[in-house]
Amino acid sequence: MAFQEKTISLPSALDREWVEKTFGPLEGFNGGDLILDFSQTMRIDSAALCAIRILDKMYKDRGRKLVLRNIAASFLSTLGAAPEPAPAVSKEDFSFHGPLIRAGDRLIAAKETIVHALSVLVEMIYWGTLGILKKQDFRRGILGEQMFQLGYKALGIVALLSFLIGMVLALQAAIQLKTFGAGVFLGPLIGITMVREMGPLLTAIILAGRTGSATTAEIGTMGVGEELDALKTMGINPIQFVVVPKFWAISLTMPVLSICGTVAGIIGGWCIGIFYLDLSSSLYWGQLWQYLFFRDVVAGFIKSVIFSWLIIWIGAFYGFRVRGGAEGVGRETTASVVACIFIIIIADALFSFVI
Amino acid sequence: MTSSIIAQVRNLSVQYGTKHVLSDISTSIVQSEIRVILGASGCGKTTLLKAMVGLLKPVAGSIRLFDTEINDQDDPATVEVLKKVGVLFQNCALLGSLTIEDNISLPLQMHTDLPLQVIKEIVSYKLAQVKLTDAGPLLPSELSGGMRKRAALARALVLDPPLLFCDEPSAGLDPVTAAGLDRLLITLRESLGITIVVVTHELHSIESIADNISFLYDGSLFFEGPFTEARKLTGGPVYDFFTRQESNQPLHDETRQDHFVETYQ
Ligand SMILES: Nc1ncnc2c1ncn2[C@@H]1O[C@H](COP(=O)(O)OP(=O)(O)OP(=O)(O)O)[C@@H](O)[C@H]1O
Ligand SMILES: [Mg+2]
Repeated sequence: MAFQEKTISLPSALDREWVEKTFGPLEGFNGGDLILDFSQTMRIDSAALCAIRILDKMYKDRGRKLVLRNIAASFLSTLGAAPEPAPAVSKEDFSFHGPLIRAGDRLIAAKETIVHALSVLVEMIYWGTLGILKKQDFRRGILGEQMFQLGYKALGIVALLSFLIGMVLALQAAIQLKTFGAGVFLGPLIGITMVREMGPLLTAIILAGRTGSATTAEIGTMGVGEELDALKTMGINPIQFVVVPKFWAISLTMPVLSICGTVAGIIGGWCIGIFYLDLSSSLYWGQLWQYLFFRDVVAGFIKSVIFSWLIIWIGAFYGFRVRGGAEGVGRETTASVVACIFIIIIADALFSFVI
Repeated sequence: MTSSIIAQVRNLSVQYGTKHVLSDISTSIVQSEIRVILGASGCGKTTLLKAMVGLLKPVAGSIRLFDTEINDQDDPATVEVLKKVGVLFQNCALLGSLTIEDNISLPLQMHTDLPLQVIKEIVSYKLAQVKLTDAGPLLPSELSGGMRKRAALARALVLDPPLLFCDEPSAGLDPVTAAGLDRLLITLRESLGITIVVVTHELHSIESIADNISFLYDGSLFFEGPFTEARKLTGGPVYDFFTRQESNQPLHDETRQDHFVETYQ
């Protein structure tokens, strides 16, 4: 069957609506040459213009012709003036990279990450301790505000969650202890668990979600807005300016929060002891004091301090890694919280062997 | 006369990843000079400024400010030199969490032992210089674009730096305020003898402040010399810039136009 020409008389306004309606059928038109008659057309918008350019290209590829009949010279010049889009070039072409090279690249990237992370840590510790003595540039009032933000405001959630966890732990334990008639040991069991493990760990996880993420987002946003660059050109070290107040605030508040959490958890256990195991209050506390040693308290304290440093370190590290815009801030903030919780739990496991 | 060279750039090349932005730029800026950096949008002017203050690591070449090699932030000598440099960023880069007053007083608080009273006075003096007297207690987000620009200039000026970098100081300002800023820069040069490097597109402003211009084209230094010399050129990108012409090479190639005519008629 011979291909037939088809003539389409275009409406007076060639606009988006026209493209939406007709582009599909025109694209699918499989006959011979296509003639578009512009004699009535008064107005053409960019959507129509681009559609015609695409059709032209498509028809040429198929070896047919697209004829624009009666087209005004002004339309023709706009058609010609739209620049051809530059051919898409993929940014990095890895296709010819062998697996060895890729592994090497990864290794180098990993090394850089570690070096960067360590340098953030070292600078944080330097500016947080020795650097402070050199100059009084600890921002006035900022420490108090930071402590309020990350300490006082987290107190409620830390206490509540620890209380609930204390209760849940006690309930689970009580069922077992009751079977063996060992209910009196509920006090020391909950006490030691909370003091050594759950108090510091739970607080750290909550603060990783609150303070760690906030640190990443704040530093990341500052980086995106070139605020970090501005600080550098003023001769101010961004770590000293942004991270150090947070470093001290979290180092000072985290142990306190952790103690509050621990106490709340123990009270949660006490509730179960009293109401479920029918222990007397004095028995619960007496047993607790008898078996809880100073050693345990110190272990819990050291843990909470170390966790606080991990949180602020990882939060800051991911903040300085942010590239791009708002999306980069979101991505690194998520990564920061995940990494923070992961590393805290690993550190907690290591602690169990050491202290 | 080497002592009067304030800033020296030698064979500087800068890349972002694999993308070459600047290649082999060399120039030196002498004391009390006002140097205007020109070039089309996206040609690397901001990149040059950032490299000059050590924010971008060049792939080749070196920068010396006040006879000190500029490295990155870990180098104490660089940090010392940067205290003598004021930078106005193209997007202002005010600290979003601090008020305008605190933004401006920050360098003073960090680097000097001036009593608070004096610091406050300096801040209001600088705010008056850029005509922002009432904006002190506001946050940067509560200011208009042009006001932010002026606040950022006040911050760049607060330590009375002998070397000032300004990236498009008058972008987004009305002609009167922009002219006021130009006068301010000239006054600063005359009263304090400071050296100023300005990126700007405003022809008026170039005319009134520039001693020398550096014209960047296609990643390298296309023209450098006195402003009056630049005006004498009768062709090429510098001429196009001053006469506001589009570059003489066509935006779309003529062959494409012909192709359309052939196909359609
Ligand atoms: N962070 C970056 N990463 C990658 N490329 C960049 C980055 N910043 C700038 N560029 C590229 O470098 C080139 C020069 O940018 P630059 O900001 O220096 O231009 P400019 O001359 O200041 O332009 P304008 O007058 O519009 O401010 C541009 O092509 C831009 O795409
Ligand atoms: Mg720029």
